[in-house]
Amino acid sequence: MMEDILYGLGPLVVILLALLGHRYRWERLRQMVAVWVSVVLVGTGALAYGGIAHGHFSPILVMLTNLVAATSAWDSVRWGQEHPDMRPRRYYLWWALFWASLITIALARDLAIAWLAIEFSTLASGALIVEMGNRRALEAAWKYIVIASVGLAMGIIGILFVYGSLRTQGLGWQTLSYYNILHHFHEISPIVRETATILIVSGIGTKVGLAPFHTWLPDAHSEAPSPVSGLLSGILLGLCLVTIDRFVTAVPLPAETLFSGPHLLLIFGTLSVVVGTLALLVQRDIKRLLAYSSIEQMGIMAVGFGVGTPWARDAALLQFAFHAVIKSTLFYIGGHLSVVYHTKRLDKITDIVRQHRGLAVAWAIGILALAGLPPLGLAYSEWMILQALWQDHSTVVLIVLSAALVLAFAALLYHLLRGLWGGFEISARRDDTENREPAGLLDRVPTLGGVRH
Amino acid sequence: MAIAGFFVFMTTVGLLWSRNVIYSVMFLAAEGLALTAMVWISDPLTLATLGIGIATLIVKAGVIPGTMYRVISQWPSEYRRDQPLPFWAYIAAVALVLAVRHVILLLTPSGIILHRPLFFYGMASIFLGLLLMISRRHVVAQVAALVAVENGLVVLAASVAGALPTFMEFGMLIDLLAAVAILVWMSRRIRRQFNTTDVTTLKFLRG
Repeated sequence: MMEDILYGLGPLVVILLALLGHRYRWERLRQMVAVWVSVVLVGTGALAYGGIAHGHFSPILVMLTNLVAATSAWDSVRWGQEHPDMRPRRYYLWWALFWASLITIALARDLAIAWLAIEFSTLASGALIVEMGNRRALEAAWKYIVIASVGLAMGIIGILFVYGSLRTQGLGWQTLSYYNILHHFHEISPIVRETATILIVSGIGTKVGLAPFHTWLPDAHSEAPSPVSGLLSGILLGLCLVTIDRFVTAVPLPAETLFSGPHLLLIFGTLSVVVGTLALLVQRDIKRLLAYSSIEQMGIMAVGFGVGTPWARDAALLQFAFHAVIKSTLFYIGGHLSVVYHTKRLDKITDIVRQHRGLAVAWAIGILALAGLPPLGLAYSEWMILQALWQDHSTVVLIVLSAALVLAFAALLYHLLRGLWGGFEISARRDDTENREPAGLLDRVPTLGGVRH
Repeated sequence: MAIAGFFVFMTTVGLLWSRNVIYSVMFLAAEGLALTAMVWISDPLTLATLGIGIATLIVKAGVIPGTMYRVISQWPSEYRRDQPLPFWAYIAAVALVLAVRHVILLLTPSGIILHRPLFFYGMASIFLGLLLMISRRHVVAQVAALVAVENGLVVLAASVAGALPTFMEFGMLIDLLAAVAILVWMSRRIRRQFNTTDVTTLKFLRG
């Protein structure tokens, strides 16, 4: 009860602060929101400690949500200073509604509530993207809302089929609680179960960004305000995937069914890993790089949930936790880098080590963690998923995933090294030349990734 | 009830036919009225069904078409017309409507379908709405298609479950209202910033 009040009060206070915020300077408002969200985070830790210690999913998910919400709120303070044109009241109003929808998805024990919250999260986050005010953001938000709404419409058809099959219970909306579905799934005919599974996995999978339903994701995540990109990529995608897993677990299908939940998760997951990894190799935009990496990471998690053993599901959850922290941080840093360099182009964001040492250290640690370098977290959870695939004798998926992880490591390392030291040699030479004699024409020619063209 | 479902289906066909988005908005208002009638005649009138019916009437026959009309009516006439549908869209529409029959044959043995004609109208409206979303190029026509899909879902729900729980009915209604409010707001901005209402001109980003 106390927990529910706290979780409800969190976004509500932010909404009130946003509505009454005109009494304060914008900077003060941003700081007040950040402090309040941090208080909610501490409260969450205190109240959900028991559940977290016992490894229960929901408390861990809420804790993660509020952790990333707190970092997002603190990053919004600096991001707001960097974007003085952004109206904080509207920003925080949508931000609070988005946060509320994330908490609701994390806590939902009912498929209908989860669906409504996911739909609402699309609208709130879409509005936050529009708040950027430029054409690219408007286009990204339009595609995001339209494609996600179509996907979610597919999902609700599946939910209606499940509800229709269990309507005689007369339990009202509680018919769709995962507990009730799990205990009465045998009353749903296999063909309806299979159809509902295909629709729900594909429909909510659109919101996860699983390939081939991922086309909206790189646009939306790269054009959103960076603190929001952190929440979108770090939390929302994973929560939607957990919703799929909760449904798939509650409505099992015979192992020989071609399009069962685990099979679909393995297929879409593997495809996402391949698509995300290949896209990493050719990215030119710092935030799109991170967005495509999210597709790859969601693919890895989907594979973990698809294997379905307790070890694999724990690994997928661990992957979610590590990814949430690392990816949100990287989005924040990527946002600041794009501001200080006045561009999001990776070939222009170079020589970070010399020019912004603090950001360089954080960016390097984040990218290495994302690439799966031991002993940083993702290396451990990815190894667990590979191990689960080995034990499950899923050889093809294991080979594809291993190859993709190696490629992703190489791609991320390439972008990292180019960003940290690319252009270093040229700029060092330019400094040297400037000290000795007036710069020649050749030194004024723009460089591309440290290579003169 | 089947008549109301048929009316929803026919108005969705009207959306497919109409190039003038003002007509599309009128079709949506007519769909809202049909859905309200369906809610009130499907079950014995209780406080819950009365409330859902009133909310449906206000939101789907009033606020949503009204908001869309208010925005479109301020635009010059060249921004109110959509491009003609490509020929493949008509063929796809016929194929999709025929495909519903196959879905019904597939699901009938499971006993999930309570009302076959209603299931047909609901599923066909959803399919046509989805087709509209990929074939229509006008921003407001796409919003209308999204509302048509949602209306088809309500008919489909009535055909498989009789009625949805009140909580879900209101939840979906509020979600739709918020979605339309945001999308119409975005439509205005798209017209202002891109000086067009054609979504195919949104080409800055490549997925």
